Amino acid sequence: MNVHLQEDLSKHTLRADDGIAKGADLLKVENISLSFGGVKAITDISFDIKKGEIRAIIGPNGAGKTSMLNVINGFYFPQQGTITFRGEKRRRARASETARDGIARTFQNIALFKGMSTLDNIMTGRITLQKRSLLWHALWKGPAEREEIEHREAVERIIDFLEIEHIRKTPVGRLPYGLQKRVELGRALAADPALLLLDEPMAGMNLEEKADMSRFILDVNQQYGTTIALIEHDMGVVMDLSDRVVVLDYGKKIGDGTPDEVRNNPDVIDAYLGVPH
Amino acid sequence: MLSEIFVEPFADMVAAPDFLMQVLWEGLVSGILYALIALGFVLIYRSSRIFNFAQGIMVVFAALTLVGLHEAGVPAWVSVVLTLGVMFVLAVVVERVVLRPLVGQPDIILFMATIGITLFLIGFGEIIFGGENKVMITQELGIPTDSVVFEPFGGLLILEQKDITAAGIAALLVIGLLLFLNKTRMGRAIRALGDDHQAAMSVGISLQTIWVLVWFIAGIIALVTGIAWGARAGVSFALEVIAYKALPVLMLGGLESISGAIVGGLMIGMLEKLFEIYWGQPLLGGNTETWFAFMLALVVLLFRPQGLFGERIIERV
Repeated sequence: MNVHLQEDLSKHTLRADDGIAKGADLLKVENISLSFGGVKAITDISFDIKKGEIRAIIGPNGAGKTSMLNVINGFYFPQQGTITFRGEKRRRARASETARDGIARTFQNIALFKGMSTLDNIMTGRITLQKRSLLWHALWKGPAEREEIEHREAVERIIDFLEIEHIRKTPVGRLPYGLQKRVELGRALAADPALLLLDEPMAGMNLEEKADMSRFILDVNQQYGTTIALIEHDMGVVMDLSDRVVVLDYGKKIGDGTPDEVRNNPDVIDAYLGVPH
Repeated sequence: MLSEIFVEPFADMVAAPDFLMQVLWEGLVSGILYALIALGFVLIYRSSRIFNFAQGIMVVFAALTLVGLHEAGVPAWVSVVLTLGVMFVLAVVVERVVLRPLVGQPDIILFMATIGITLFLIGFGEIIFGGENKVMITQELGIPTDSVVFEPFGGLLILEQKDITAAGIAALLVIGLLLFLNKTRMGRAIRALGDDHQAAMSVGISLQTIWVLVWFIAGIIALVTGIAWGARAGVSFALEVIAYKALPVLMLGGLESISGAIVGGLMIGMLEKLFEIYWGQPLLGGNTETWFAFMLALVVLLFRPQGLFGERIIERV
């Protein structure tokens, strides 16, 4: 598979290769606070995601992890704080806009287009990359068709990579859970993202499926050079995969560092094991 | 009695096949219009899960605007273009004022909002265009008004040219729409949005753009329907009631299916006409067309709750 992927890399580097050096800040969130009415979901959180790394966001249930992802990809607008993506501060960017800027994501409770086939689902991931407009499609089929074929090839490579050739034409609503998660990852990958957000990519999977998914995530990171932020509850997975980990609890940041640092952080241990008050 | 129900109608059909064809043709023409209205419903439902109660009044509003503009001295074809512009503005306003603030609310709230749009358009339309009936500018638009006469089986079959034109335009509209939905990336985006809003936004589909687009297309469909129906029956607010005929069509065809809307519309148009002529008038005193479609839908719902073509929904409990 890797030969193809590398070809793909050299062909579609528009987003991964954006002039930001490996290890420099790709995304920076500063002093983010988010509340719903009187409920504070996130309080004054700052951290960064460096280009090329796998960054894990962990924390007990209700810690604000998913809210944080929703802030990053524009589903929620924080009341306070700034987000800097690729060196540009952004104000109230909507999800459809951040997608165009190169942020792709998956969801905790799979959000696929259930009536469509695997192929069509992954094709939707390329919507932001398709340049020819609707009018082109209507007026002059040639160029639009050529473009469609190009995108189709890219999607086929992703399908090969994720080993889901056999379900290419199956409506995703009929697929088992583990495969749906894989299709969802495929759709996010199809956007050729600069930053990939994964919300519990392994929730509800058995050991074998988790191993597969871990392998895919590592491969994506290494082959595509894609920066990944992931939320995950399986600590074994988190510690193995991630370069750095940020820990949230009750909407606040309580730890940030390499897996080893975080593992030995007393606040983190308290949050996970509980402390007598 | 039994023979009056089960034998004589069919004997009549066989005895006068030319008349049967005439009845079927009349039914087909009504059916095309039902199908068009249902299509407007389906399109909006598929992209937003909103049951758009205002589709019927949009037909009236589009037709009134067209005729009203022409009465004000605007040339016919310019009026058509301007009316399309008005429908576009309507789509933008609906998205901005009604839909956007209600994003994420339960479906029933959005449904209620479309009833609000309906009432607004009725009032607004009456203020601007008045409440009296108008005549569709059929000739000015260059739609032929002659009849074509065939003589099948030695009988007589009269097809009005404006009905043929309406059928032709409707067919083109449907084909265009199907190509648009299935072959273009915008179409894919519309289908995606209908499946899952969040996921659609996360791949870069803009809710706002698509909603405006879909309501505009529904407006175009409304205008075509308005012209075609107005040419047969005049333009008035009473036109709105044909929108209710779209409801049984949707029950038959399912809310999600474009082909369902078309087949359902044509079926209901023809069946209600057949029933009226061969059973309703001789046995029930006529005027069965007002209720037949709803009865039929009810019977279908008993056996296939998802409609004849709807996607089967299996829910795990």
